[in-house]
Amino acid sequence: MTQFVVKPGVKNLHHEGEKLITTHCCYCGMQCGMHIRVNEKSGKVVGVEPRYDWPVTMGKMCPKGVTAYQTVDHEERIKKPLIKKNGEFVESSWEEALDLIEKNYKRIQSEHGKDALSVFGGVSMTNEKCYLVGKYARVALGTRYVDYNGRFCMSSAAGGFMKTLGIDRGSTLPWPELEHTDCFFMAGSNTAECHPTTIQWLWKARDKGAKMIVADPRETPTARIADVHLDLKSGTDSALANGMMHLLVKEGYVDEKYVDERCNNYEQLKESVKIFTPEYTSELTGVSVEKLVKAARIFGQSPRSVVMFARGVEQQMKGVDNVSLYTSMALLRGQIGKFASGVATFTGQGNGQGGREHGQKADALPGYRKIDNPEHVKYVSSVWGIEPEEMPKAGVSAYEMFDKIQRGNIRAMHVICSNPAVSAPNNNYIWDSFNKLDFMVVSDFFLSETCEFADVVLPTTTWAEDEGTTTNLEGRVIRIRKVREPVGESKTDWEIMQLIAERMGKGKYFPYKNVPEIYEEFRLASKGGKADYYGITYDRIEKEDGVFWPCPSEDHPGTPTMFQDSFGTEDGRANLAAVGWQQPGEVTSAEYPITLTTGRVVFHYLSGTQTRRTPFLMEQCPEPFAEMHPEMASRYALKDGDYVYLETRRGNMEVKAKITKAIRKDHIFVPYHWGKELSVNKLTSPALDPTSRMPEFKVAAVKIKKA
Amino acid sequence: MNKVMYLEFERCIGCRACQAACRECGGHDAKERNYVEYVNFFENRQTYPMMCMQCKDPACAKVCPANAIQITEEGVVLSAMEDKCIGCRNCTFGCPFGIPKFDFEENKMYKCDMCYDRTKHDISPMCASVCPSDAIRFIDHDEMMDLRRRRTQMNLIEGKKPSENDKWEYVPEFFGVYSD
Repeated sequence: MTQFVVKPGVKNLHHEGEKLITTHCCYCGMQCGMHIRVNEKSGKVVGVEPRYDWPVTMGKMCPKGVTAYQTVDHEERIKKPLIKKNGEFVESSWEEALDLIEKNYKRIQSEHGKDALSVFGGVSMTNEKCYLVGKYARVALGTRYVDYNGRFCMSSAAGGFMKTLGIDRGSTLPWPELEHTDCFFMAGSNTAECHPTTIQWLWKARDKGAKMIVADPRETPTARIADVHLDLKSGTDSALANGMMHLLVKEGYVDEKYVDERCNNYEQLKESVKIFTPEYTSELTGVSVEKLVKAARIFGQSPRSVVMFARGVEQQMKGVDNVSLYTSMALLRGQIGKFASGVATFTGQGNGQGGREHGQKADALPGYRKIDNPEHVKYVSSVWGIEPEEMPKAGVSAYEMFDKIQRGNIRAMHVICSNPAVSAPNNNYIWDSFNKLDFMVVSDFFLSETCEFADVVLPTTTWAEDEGTTTNLEGRVIRIRKVREPVGESKTDWEIMQLIAERMGKGKYFPYKNVPEIYEEFRLASKGGKADYYGITYDRIEKEDGVFWPCPSEDHPGTPTMFQDSFGTEDGRANLAAVGWQQPGEVTSAEYPITLTTGRVVFHYLSGTQTRRTPFLMEQCPEPFAEMHPEMASRYALKDGDYVYLETRRGNMEVKAKITKAIRKDHIFVPYHWGKELSVNKLTSPALDPTSRMPEFKVAAVKIKKA
Repeated sequence: MNKVMYLEFERCIGCRACQAACRECGGHDAKERNYVEYVNFFENRQTYPMMCMQCKDPACAKVCPANAIQITEEGVVLSAMEDKCIGCRNCTFGCPFGIPKFDFEENKMYKCDMCYDRTKHDISPMCASVCPSDAIRFIDHDEMMDLRRRRTQMNLIEGKKPSENDKWEYVPEFFGVYSD
């Protein structure tokens, strides 16, 4: 297999004494193509070269992508296992660390039962590793308690798509088709900062006259270029979507033939959107009637439109409703399953799509199978070589695992590729829970805030020191290549899970010598499921610029466009959402009069473990800030750069005020990439969506004063 | 070199990938030579990239008393030659765009050289390569002229595009930089 993949006629700069290895970025779901520059003599990673011929991103990268390679040979890498002795981390051998893990895991399980252990996974890992996390928890440790950080990121989109379309694939269309779209309806997505390399496609379409409608409480760099900016209040998406559908129905923009042939519940939907007149919608959302009408007309008249959304609508107590309603907007216009149109969510994490399909979720098994379905359990058990009776039952969601710790049901946790000490809501509760654990293991390559609570820290490799596949935000399965040998004594996550499995006497279920062997088993495990990867091979990915799942056999072309003939539901018809409006979990009051919302900045990724260690990114954005309108600043006598004290019912913090008119007058925005005293997640609300169990990061009631 | 740098300020999303990428160019000593600025953050988030215009008769070179700033045959204005530069900083004051930077530790000026090690082989400079919104492009002269005409056509057809912001008052719609 080739290490450097380039199409004929494409020129790259080759420096003397260096080789280029083709791979993808480690950060968000765009998975931008890149070549990594490696010094041939030292084997060290020295830089990056654009991959001009990767069809999704064309060589483009954001500042995180450009500097991603700098985390590989970073001076703060953990190079040996660390064991906490008398409150201090001490370097140890792998033997000693594994002995300690084995002793404690076995003791805890014999005293408190199998389910006293738990695994907290993440989706910034390859499919092979994400697949193995579920197997590791259920087969090696035999516990039901496994879940992952996708609960904070993707699960509402998954829930909404399952409900309406029957299959959860992040995008129903391939990204290069966006160029031919006539209208983008984007809700709760600051694409320009969170998925910057998508912007090129929006502009390609805009150059042909395409329109953009952006719903966001802030006038983000994305909203700034919109034709209509729907400046809604945080947490009112379901009202906005219902209001838009009210207008689509009223003004005759519904594709009646499509809805009649392919959708259920149209009558119920019509009934439920009846009350959402522009006036009522405006009252709930704070968006002016004129803008609502203008947006509905532009969207309704566009022959090809894409409805796109991201965490802004998903990280809410009604995230699943929001996704179902926005998806229904696309269905009413008859857009899903056609060229250059459809519905898409922007996957936040690198492998947010692949990582959520293959059994890292408390209730899921590989191939998007369900653990409460006996047939599914039987199939996966046969692949794993266990008896169906040995398969543990469903566990609980990520945040709810901390409830289990508080109640003493979970006594030990292995955190893999995640930093919930920063990224989980209601931080104080999370930190207290970590302190209550008998024993905690963290696998990471930097000493994250979560590592600091651990008894044992195991040094893992970065993405550049292992190979495998990921699935990008389109649903395209792509290849991550190994760029260099592991740094220090670090091991890949799959080797670590394998070693612990051996210690737990389950080594025979983890016989892998290399990543392709895991992939072969994983293909088989996904076979026949909704997310079927069976026909996708490493060779095909290389030859075909990635392959879109579902791809049930090697002669199947893959599925760039979903739902062309039918939907993934039982009757093959999409279920339109008929749900009303409900307030967010926390609303403003006289005591807490302002809405706090959180999100990302372009310079940082998730909990910042990597990007806060990258000099260029820290120079651009060294600390969080409270973004507010000058009108609010004036009310509290705040000047730009003054420290402001924020307090919600759960926690407080002090940050600098950053003043701009590009935000609603009644909202404050704080980015969440920092830990400890700088973590805004001390303040955020853990109100969970009833279906997806995703917390409401996006809406909290806050009071402020000058610090 | 048959290509030109083409900037569309309005497209800039302020991500500063161009600055990060500038540091990556061989011979740039991990120091960026371009700029990204807010027009006025109090008002809105419009940013714009700024880089060397590679002037035909560059003020920086004209005011250099040591003749240290060389221009390549393709018209690229290079950083001051290290052995000639006397560290007087005339160039940083002479440039009407404020492009040349001065390294006080090394006592020498440095500036955008359009990634000469790339562009002399017709490979796009790092900033234009990575710019996620195509605000900075490295394209054929003909393509640039075509783009300029097309933008005007679009505006004639649509009139001023509907927008809630008065962005058009802040920034010109396009700007071409000639290198030959």
